[in-house]
Amino acid sequence: MKYLLTILATAFLGVIYAQPKGVLSEKKMVPIPAGIYDPFFIKTSPVPIKVAAFKLDESAVTNLEYLEFVKANPQWRRSKVNRLFADSNYLRHWESDVSIGINNKDIYNSPVVHVSWFAAQAYAKWKNKRLPTVQEWERAGIAPPKDSKIKSVVDYIAKWYSIPSPKVLPNIKSTYENTYGLHDMHGLIWEWTFNFNSFIGTGDSRGNTEDEIKAFCAGGSINVKDKSDYAGYLRFSYRVSLKGNFCIANLGFRCAKDN
Amino acid sequence: MKSFLYTLFICSILISCGSNEKKSAFEGEVMNEHPTAPVGTIPDQSIYMLTDSFQTQNNEKIILKQFAGKPTVIGMIFTHCDYACPRLTADIKNINKVLNAEEGKVNYVLISFDTERDTPDVLKKYADNLRLGNDYTLLHGSEEAVRTLSILLNVQFQKDAEGNFSHSNIISVLDKEGLLVSQKEGLEANHDLSIASLKGMLK
Repeated sequence: MKYLLTILATAFLGVIYAQPKGVLSEKKMVPIPAGIYDPFFIKTSPVPIKVAAFKLDESAVTNLEYLEFVKANPQWRRSKVNRLFADSNYLRHWESDVSIGINNKDIYNSPVVHVSWFAAQAYAKWKNKRLPTVQEWERAGIAPPKDSKIKSVVDYIAKWYSIPSPKVLPNIKSTYENTYGLHDMHGLIWEWTFNFNSFIGTGDSRGNTEDEIKAFCAGGSINVKDKSDYAGYLRFSYRVSLKGNFCIANLGFRCAKDN
Repeated sequence: MKSFLYTLFICSILISCGSNEKKSAFEGEVMNEHPTAPVGTIPDQSIYMLTDSFQTQNNEKIILKQFAGKPTVIGMIFTHCDYACPRLTADIKNINKVLNAEEGKVNYVLISFDTERDTPDVLKKYADNLRLGNDYTLLHGSEEAVRTLSILLNVQFQKDAEGNFSHSNIISVLDKEGLLVSQKEGLEANHDLSIASLKGMLK
């Protein structure tokens, strides 16, 4: 009898410990209805752009989620990645190629950062998704917080921009949820978009291109839609400063999908 | 007591197995590696690492790697453009003229931003109208392929609500392996350096 109990007990424990622990549940996607995206810079796009309905991940891709991708796609491991597609800061916050590190437990569910556009793009493809366009991202991000205590999103964002990045990046869903049901659109990280290299006008503008003239000559600020939206201006400036292989400490992504 | 110890022993083995499993699921090495396919002699930093396929003005499927072996001059345009693109194309034709190389020695490649309207047929007409010779390849690609290439070539572009494109004007020179050798931004810019590097590669 004792032996039978032992066998039963060991079998029971065996079942418990044989459960795969690493399988993550599919990230929830939130439907964003069709609508108009009113471009930030009026002159570059004279007509408001129609954005079709689409779906967007409710939160940014986490380190744990990204680890699954890296395991399945060895060419995206830190030691193997092509520098053309990811600079030397790629996943520098991880312990090794396929380990975030037990000392980094706090960031398992934080957004993955230090990832390039090419890496984000490859992840999205692997998930049968895609990166959102700037237009889609801005349209989704403009929705107000569910929490009516946050009076001004612009002030909220400006406050976030004004403080240095925390040493340990907080987990997803640690800032506000907007009325679409999207978490952390502002206040946690910056996010890659499919066409981040869209906006014309570089810091080194010499008016060589038609659109640099449109965007900047005679004072760019005159053409800005809402002069009080300083945060929006910063986002556009930030995007234009990026290159596809940049890997940055506060830049991650979330995926989109057609409806 | 004996059986208790036995149970403890079995449990400890199972627990250690369990934690190993946890480790492999979250942290450890995985076994099913798929080694990436060899890419021939193309260096890692080559633009030809982009493996998406495009269509030429003659409706042929092509990958960028097929331009390897000759130096290549690249510009990104769209044919409905009535301001900058004709001038960018003219700049490339001018490089061709000043370089004065034999036919078949240099690739001149024009890639369209306009994935919807610039079909191979439209590109063919554009090439014929501008009398672009046999060294010119005009490419139509998917939205993703064109965006990826624009990012690799540091070309910014954006489609407006009317279906036209705002874009930077950059002419890039690639060496025989597809490495970026020189880039010049601006219309009617001075392309002396690009021409000098092309001459160097043709020696």
